[in-house]
Amino acid sequence: MSDSFLIEYLPILIFFVIAGGAAIAAVAMSYMVGQQNPDPEKNSQYECGFEAFAESRSKFDVKFYLVAILFIIFDLEIAFLFPWAIVLGDIGMFGFWSMVLFLGILTVGFVYEWKKGALDWE
Amino acid sequence: MLYGIAFYLFAMVLVGSAIAVITAKNPVHSVLFLILAFFNAAGLMVLLGAEFIAMLLVIVYVGAVAVLFLFVVMMMDVSFADLRSGAMKYVPIGVVVGGVLLFELVIIYSGWKFSDAMELANPNDISLTNTEALGHILYTKYFFIFQMSGLVLLVAMIGAIVLTLRKRSGVKRQKIYEQVNRKASDVIEIHKVTPGTGV
Amino acid sequence: MIDLALDGYMSALPEIFLALSGLVFLIAGVFRGNSGTTFLCYSAAFAFVFSLILLAGVNTGEAFSDLFIMDDFARYIKVIILLGAIASVVYAASFLKDEQIFRFEYPVLMIFAVVGMMVMVSANDLLTVYLGLELSSLSLYVLAAIHRESIKSSEAGLKYFVLGAISSGFILFGCSLIYGFAGATNFDDISVLLSGDNSLNIGVIFGMVFILSGLAFKISAVPFHMWTPDVYEGAPTSVTAFFAIVPKIAAIALIIRILFEVFPSMSEQWQQVVVFISVASMAIGAFGAIAQKNIKRLMAYSSIGNMGYALIGVAAATQNGVYSVLVYVTIYMVMTVGVFGIIMCMRKRGYAAESISDLSGLSKNSPVMAYGMAILMFSLSGIPPMAGFFGKFMIFEAAVNAEMYILAVIGVLLSVVAAYYYLRVIKIMFFDEAEDRFDCDIAFSRRAMIAISVILIVAFIFYPNIVFDGAMSASLALFPK
Repeated sequence: MSDSFLIEYLPILIFFVIAGGAAIAAVAMSYMVGQQNPDPEKNSQYECGFEAFAESRSKFDVKFYLVAILFIIFDLEIAFLFPWAIVLGDIGMFGFWSMVLFLGILTVGFVYEWKKGALDWE
Repeated sequence: MLYGIAFYLFAMVLVGSAIAVITAKNPVHSVLFLILAFFNAAGLMVLLGAEFIAMLLVIVYVGAVAVLFLFVVMMMDVSFADLRSGAMKYVPIGVVVGGVLLFELVIIYSGWKFSDAMELANPNDISLTNTEALGHILYTKYFFIFQMSGLVLLVAMIGAIVLTLRKRSGVKRQKIYEQVNRKASDVIEIHKVTPGTGV
Repeated sequence: MIDLALDGYMSALPEIFLALSGLVFLIAGVFRGNSGTTFLCYSAAFAFVFSLILLAGVNTGEAFSDLFIMDDFARYIKVIILLGAIASVVYAASFLKDEQIFRFEYPVLMIFAVVGMMVMVSANDLLTVYLGLELSSLSLYVLAAIHRESIKSSEAGLKYFVLGAISSGFILFGCSLIYGFAGATNFDDISVLLSGDNSLNIGVIFGMVFILSGLAFKISAVPFHMWTPDVYEGAPTSVTAFFAIVPKIAAIALIIRILFEVFPSMSEQWQQVVVFISVASMAIGAFGAIAQKNIKRLMAYSSIGNMGYALIGVAAATQNGVYSVLVYVTIYMVMTVGVFGIIMCMRKRGYAAESISDLSGLSKNSPVMAYGMAILMFSLSGIPPMAGFFGKFMIFEAAVNAEMYILAVIGVLLSVVAAYYYLRVIKIMFFDEAEDRFDCDIAFSRRAMIAISVILIVAFIFYPNIVFDGAMSASLALFPK
């Protein structure tokens, strides 16, 4: 690959530099401009005046994870749509129905999860 | 020149953040390093000219998988210090397995040669972007593979629901249809009570 | 291009039918709820039967732009898979009722697992291999953990999933090495490329070994067998039965297809690997089983050992070897169906009894079951005139014909060791003090399955040609003349 190919990505590089610069600037400025009077009590964890009893983590209901897992699956489904959308003109009716069948299989899954109540938030 | 710099930059950050994933004390940091590793892998894919794969890495791995990981480590009630305490005794065996794999990779790449047919796999038609090239075969030539992957996704969906969905009993919820169709005569009973006799 | 994609789809008709019926059952199940589980189990059994009928009629040939191949080898293995699946799903119907596990997804997942295995067997491309394998494995992981209330079942599912994912990674890595070398994923293209002086390329050898390791995990051959006892013990018994009966046959068929269709020119390289895992599996299977107290763990070691014997036939690298493997796995499938049927009958006061000592005195409490089990155990240990003897005999014969005398001798010696623990089960049933009786209300369907299995084992000696002819034409399909 030649360097000219990389030049196409220059806008993205500039974007990253600006984004990173802005983020670093925000932290650096507050560090430099703000007054800092550190003190052990100030830096310790604060929990209604007590020392922290335990870690802040607690068991969450598994339904949170279920939503995330189902999201991943549909996210993957979406990923298949991108190339399809680009070349739909070239691959003709067969390509169209091929995707419809694929979506149909996943729609069966969607009906299943809907009816099963996996999308309800009780 | 520029290409080389970009490659080594991505590769070094990738390896560095991969090491950081397993050495970071805080599991949340591990996941954040994992995300950095995914980004750099996406960068390497861009350098190879595989923009579509790079985009997939970002939307699927960074957008969904890493977020799920973050979700799990932040919310699971597991003491990671305890988990980590016994891990040191697996280091020797881990080093052995890793060493064997590394040795194998060295052997493979030292003796590597492509077959003559390898030219076929190179994209000859530069006018197509690789997303288009994928699209041209994925839905037609590889129709069968495409539908099989649909079934795999369906089974993943069923599996996630079978293993995690729990119905709690005693949850009060709205049942609009029943509520609207409720008639006074179904639910209210009127008794004539004569004084002194009770119901 | 478009004609090419759908070309020959008729040869995949059994798979298409099963996949569609899986979708229909899923929707039917979710609208009917878990009370329809038993009905769906029997419906799934009918779907398997119908698919078997379709299988008899489909034409041989390549389909879906050469991703899929239907030949006599695939047809034979698919028949075995479907028969095993019918037995497992019939067992599941009564077992789920006994254990009060009502989940309509169970038969649906079984259907998808079987679709995956059938696709594996018909693979003519590395991509098809991977997707078929993943469809079946994913369904099996979920099935292992389907009894969520049991911590052992969850553990089994998790262990199987983590190790299975690693083995899938091995297979993918191997595929990528081969693709990296050859620039093709199609079996025909790769084997043509490898037939010349290319065959000793180091990358291809590594790729082949990685694929073989991943598949060795799926058939639980040593050194990739660690998961087997735990998963067999933890999973609900009907799931264990399914694991023991069906997926291993699909995986060993895939091993045969890959080794003999893609890497025939590298047989010297893969023979070493196969000989090693074969001997190691027989040894671990034989010695590991001796100390077991749980009958499901015993069967796990038994299956490790039996896969070792089957691999002897693969190691022979001849058409005769493949033929003997096909006969062997067929007989093994029938025996496993019977044994697991009896294991499911081991219930005391409504609870499953899984310890081997629970069988003590079975000959007095229920003599029919004891004699059935004894026949199956004799057959598993390879004592004539049971079917199991012929399976082992043909394997050893194939090894001797291929001049692998040492391998054959080791196999015979280790099968003597293995006979010890099979015979121990018989000794416990017939000569130990009687314990409590097992519950007698055994479902008719289960009795029928056990009876069919035992009768087939005994009757094999009279009608062996049904199996022999099928296996012969199947093995010939892999060796074009």
